[in-house]
Amino acid sequence: MANFVNSMLLPEFPLWEKLKKGRQLVSFDLEITSRCNNNCRHCYINLPADSSEAKSKELTFSQIKDIVDQAVSLGALWCLITGGEPFLRKDFFDIYLYIKKKGLLVSVFTNASLITDEHIRFFRKYPARDIEVTVYGATKKTYECVTRKDGSFDAFTAGLKLLLEGGIKTRFKAMALRSNVRELPEIARFCLERTKDYFRFDPFLHLRFDGNPKRNEEIKFERLTAEEIVAIEQADSERYNALEKNCDKLIMKDSAHINCNHLFHCGAGNGSFTVSYDGFFRLCSSLWHPDCVYDLKRGRLTEAWQDFIPKVRDMRSNRGEFLEKCRKCQIINLCIWCPAHSHLETGELDKPVEYFCEVAHFRQKMLEGAVD
Amino acid sequence: MKPEVSLNNIYKPSEDVVAREVAGEFIIIPVASGVGDAEDEIFSLNEPGKSIWDKLSADKSLRDVALELSKEFEAPLEQIEKDCAGLIQELLKRKMVVDKG
Repeated sequence: MANFVNSMLLPEFPLWEKLKKGRQLVSFDLEITSRCNNNCRHCYINLPADSSEAKSKELTFSQIKDIVDQAVSLGALWCLITGGEPFLRKDFFDIYLYIKKKGLLVSVFTNASLITDEHIRFFRKYPARDIEVTVYGATKKTYECVTRKDGSFDAFTAGLKLLLEGGIKTRFKAMALRSNVRELPEIARFCLERTKDYFRFDPFLHLRFDGNPKRNEEIKFERLTAEEIVAIEQADSERYNALEKNCDKLIMKDSAHINCNHLFHCGAGNGSFTVSYDGFFRLCSSLWHPDCVYDLKRGRLTEAWQDFIPKVRDMRSNRGEFLEKCRKCQIINLCIWCPAHSHLETGELDKPVEYFCEVAHFRQKMLEGAVD
Repeated sequence: MKPEVSLNNIYKPSEDVVAREVAGEFIIIPVASGVGDAEDEIFSLNEPGKSIWDKLSADKSLRDVALELSKEFEAPLEQIEKDCAGLIQELLKRKMVVDKG
């Protein structure tokens, strides 16, 4: 008898092959709110949970439905619901369920502190592909030093307990910053003891989307030095082995795009996009340059995807400093420099950033065995 | 154990799944828990499978669905009935269709 139903694992799905051949929408991120019940020192987006101004700018459920409908018609398979803290939205269940019922796989990023029994019942009935929880510290002292919110550690551990005891698939991530770096091994242990899945950490803090100068100074203070980043990367065997394995791609013999003045050589806008809480479409989460954002409250997602992105990806640079330095750089793949981060740091899409440069060169030394 | 399939019964897509075409594949995505086998799997229907699925939404017995397809594809009814029963058996096993009797 013939088989009519083929089951395949997600990585085998032909969508990925199609993406390699050209632009094909696979996934999108929906930042459904910028508000958060924590006030993390390093956060690039958070506004106070009770900010009526931030709340008034949020996309309505109806606007979100329209965006999701268009994304599905463009072929999207996957949606990440993020924030801010997405559970602050009273219509979270409606938004989530609508996205699920459109036939999308859904992931959710959260700090877990607002999780209740109701969330557990809901996620047991309508499972997310994964719920990713950020862990700011393994102790109350460190956790609340980062979140600047009394009681947040207890709320986090209570929410996490509900998720884990409820059998909800939970993943962990941590940001490595000045306020928690000494506790990073304990944070890793805390996470690995609680998941069979993976744990990842990220030492690269990028600046605020709203450009808030005071908050940007706080973020810069929280950044680790190049030496510290390399030290924690070396201490993480999985991460270090991955870097070492891809060494020839990360340290190139020749620069890949030496004679090209196109700004974008990354995959931004090829397979995914991000929508901000107030309806601004970007090619990637960090790309906030005014020439690179499209207001979905005034236009259509299909137009943004089909017409606007190609125009952005065709943008070029004539800045000598960039063309001589970053464009010819053989370790650009070890650097977090990109037009989006350049803009957040310098206000321009094509300026080198000294801190990124330092980190990339130190990582190069590590991979070439010059750092003990 | 394989679920029993009757050509006299009506089978309808479960409300707990969504069927859509993505990247040229006709796929069935579980919405609620208990549908499908594993969380990292995607279920796709081949061309004959999709043709049968498309006819399941109407309140027709599986025999009537097979009869329509037999006419459309100018194929022997007996073979199409066998194909329909085979597909429904696979989908019932995964709780992707419901037996409406």
